[in-house]
Amino acid sequence: MSAGLLYALAGAALFAFGVAGLILRSHPLRKILAFNVMGSGAFLVLVGLGQRDGTADPVPQAMVLTGIVVSIAATALALALARRQREHGNDKEERDA
Amino acid sequence: MLDPLPWLILLPLFWATLAFVRGPGRGGRLAVAGLLLQLALAGGLARQVAGEGERVYAVGGWGAPLGIDLAVDGLSAVMLLLAQAVALPLAVYARAYYAAHEEGARYFWPLAGALLAAMNALFLAADVFNLYVTLELLGLAAVGLVAASGGAGPVTAALRYLMATLLGSGAYLLGVALLYGAYGSVSLSILAPLLGADAPLAVFLAAALMLLGLMLKTALFPFHFWLPPAHGGAPAPVSALLSALVVKASFYLILRLWLDLFAPLATVAAAQLLGLLGAAAILWGSLMALAQTRLKMLVAYSTVAQIGYLFLLFPLATDTGSVASASAIQGGVMQALSHGLAKAAMFAAAGTVILSLGRDDIARLGGVSSRLPLTLFTFALAGVTLMGLPPSGGFTAKWLLMSSAMHSGQWGWVVVMILGGLLAAAYVFKVLRQAFLPVEAGTQFKPVPRLLEWPAFLLALASLLLGLRAGEVLGLLGAG
Amino acid sequence: MNLAFDLLLIAALLWSAGRALTTPDLFRAVVLFIVFGLLMALAWARLDAPDIALAEAAIGAGLTGALLLDALGHLRGPVRRKSGLIAPSTVMSSEGAGPPAFPTYFLNGLAIVLAVALGLALAGALLLLPEPAISLPREVAAAMDASGVAHPVTAVLLNFRGYDTLLEVAVLWLALLGVLAVAGGRAPGRAPVTPRSARASLKVPRLLARVLAPLALLVAGYLLWAGAHQPGGAFQAGAVLAAAAVLLNLAGLLPGGATPRWVLRAGLGFGLLVFLAVAAAVMGQGVLLQYPPAWAGALIMLIETGLTLSIGLTLAGLFLALSGASRQ
Repeated sequence: MSAGLLYALAGAALFAFGVAGLILRSHPLRKILAFNVMGSGAFLVLVGLGQRDGTADPVPQAMVLTGIVVSIAATALALALARRQREHGNDKEERDA
Repeated sequence: MLDPLPWLILLPLFWATLAFVRGPGRGGRLAVAGLLLQLALAGGLARQVAGEGERVYAVGGWGAPLGIDLAVDGLSAVMLLLAQAVALPLAVYARAYYAAHEEGARYFWPLAGALLAAMNALFLAADVFNLYVTLELLGLAAVGLVAASGGAGPVTAALRYLMATLLGSGAYLLGVALLYGAYGSVSLSILAPLLGADAPLAVFLAAALMLLGLMLKTALFPFHFWLPPAHGGAPAPVSALLSALVVKASFYLILRLWLDLFAPLATVAAAQLLGLLGAAAILWGSLMALAQTRLKMLVAYSTVAQIGYLFLLFPLATDTGSVASASAIQGGVMQALSHGLAKAAMFAAAGTVILSLGRDDIARLGGVSSRLPLTLFTFALAGVTLMGLPPSGGFTAKWLLMSSAMHSGQWGWVVVMILGGLLAAAYVFKVLRQAFLPVEAGTQFKPVPRLLEWPAFLLALASLLLGLRAGEVLGLLGAG
Repeated sequence: MNLAFDLLLIAALLWSAGRALTTPDLFRAVVLFIVFGLLMALAWARLDAPDIALAEAAIGAGLTGALLLDALGHLRGPVRRKSGLIAPSTVMSSEGAGPPAFPTYFLNGLAIVLAVALGLALAGALLLLPEPAISLPREVAAAMDASGVAHPVTAVLLNFRGYDTLLEVAVLWLALLGVLAVAGGRAPGRAPVTPRSARASLKVPRLLARVLAPLALLVAGYLLWAGAHQPGGAFQAGAVLAAAAVLLNLAGLLPGGATPRWVLRAGLGFGLLVFLAVAAAVMGQGVLLQYPPAWAGALIMLIETGLTLSIGLTLAGLFLALSGASRQ
């Protein structure tokens, strides 16, 4: 079995981890981690599967670079929303107290 | 002469970036000008397609499989026209809206420009990875727009929407990875001929993942959970853009993949399942709309229901013979168009009522008929399309879907559509009845600018007239 | 030997990801996630993908890690009862709610079963897959001479599939817009709500920052220049620039904030505008993003320089807007 296929299989497992985490965990920070793990899994499948004959393939590699930038963009937005939500939660508690 | 195809993507990106550089809240006039030009470009492109048929555009001059192709056919031309035709009046509306109500205005124009660029890029893309990037662009722009007012409700809704849309695009991306692994290309035109019913398991998985991810983004029942709070809680111009256009973009992609790429894998069972989910969406969404006490939430649940009609086309178009199938696809696309126009009008009208009245309890709409007659008329006209009464575009859509169902002997869907129409009438009249009550004591109607009322009215009128011009629309749809 | 290393690395990847999602303490989860990012960088190196390894280490583990750690203080623990107070016993446990009700158990079980089934189906599908019909690496190699650069990944990223990159830059910019809209949208005069412990884990000595920041500038310049013929390029260079800004911020030398002035806004939009301008300008001769062969190298360099600046500013902006908004 080539290294590419091996890492693609690992990617499949990571993707499944991420999906389970995204559905099962309720804390926003945990969901953000889960989404990143899921993305990493998909990236590994993309590159690993493309390189299962053992030669480097620049096309999926470039796509994963794009994907990593998209991931951090989404992560930052999600964190901003989660923090704002928490601030609202704090404000509400303060008003109630 | 300017080639409309690339400019439909570049132009909104240009005005979005410039609006950002000019500063918070600025750029509305630029956006209206840009959208006027975009509407003209989309019209020009539609004329090209009607005249010369499908067109492929190789970005960078490389061509598939090395480069990225863009492509336009009747379906994409129609969707592009819809997007610009809905966005232009909404931009005029949004300028008036945010002049009266500053919350959420600071980054509206750059976000809206990016949203339109994403949508146009999506309608033109012919490459599954490029489509992934457009989906992310669209999703993040939509989430940003929902959250922009910063209030507790919208932020929570935006976070839930973001998680749903990220799960959806993650599944889609894994599908792309599997397709690339199986065939070594991500171009639709290269992949389509390679796919057959004997495709390896990975390709079936890819199809399932991509379609499921897109169903989540389209908010098809039971994946609709994120939609009502997001669409109902956002500022009215945003609700209108999202309900009218954004869910249609991912639906368009489902249709495109189902018809062009995964057609050899499509089974009657899968198509029936999509139809059943659509039927459940129609009934559940309508009942929930009827149960709402807030105007914008009612309109948002109505979107859940109207999305359901779009999915009835799959059981009607799969293995039913060419006549029934063609009429089903035409009906589904007509539904996307007429609902787009009508729902934009309805959310805009709801926003006008809220601005004037300062609240959106349905039970306390008394006096709207005498103080905001044009806005109420707009709401009612849009309601005519949602109910599917002639001569509206909604009537044409439902007529085409029903005749396809009768042609292929699938009477169950006819019953669902009739029930859906009756329920739509019930929730529209629920609003109208309250609006015709006398003004409540102590209620102040703030005067609203005409630029708030007229764009919404034009949208509603367009959804009605669409039924009369259906022949031309369907001609364009069939052109490429 | 290689196989043993691969298997060990994969086991570590799965372990760190699994623990990051399951460990009860959020701080530990974030640290495990950063470890996971670094292991991913190693995996990319094993897959002959040094460009991704660089990006993963800088962006995936580095900047994402910084964002997560910075957010931790604001997201950990229960909602505050009274201002300034956090119930001490619940600071570390994060999602501590009561035991889930029966339908939750059922749905959770269903989700686990579905995830396991998905993983198994994927694994089976991957093992059964025949060789693809098309070989893109060969197409890339054949077109390299006309691409204007010598490094294949850069050729794909900025020439063959440059249009993806154009949209991706828009995605990054868009995320910053969203962050600014959310983080800066607070009504003025409201007191910030920062738990005292929030940033204790992230202190950087000023001297270190003063030495590292100029060094980062140099490294970024090198990465940008190197991208034309070897691993590196605008994204990696931008990430290094952003890391420098984050360091300066953590050392207290660069203030955060969620309302950029116009010079900064122009800088943030600059890369995208340059890219758009080049994309549009070359249409005079051909189609969107079709560089004249003689100019390809120079135009790509121009785009990458603009992108490095804007990506650096945007990535830094994501961090500064988030951390600044909570401390205004």
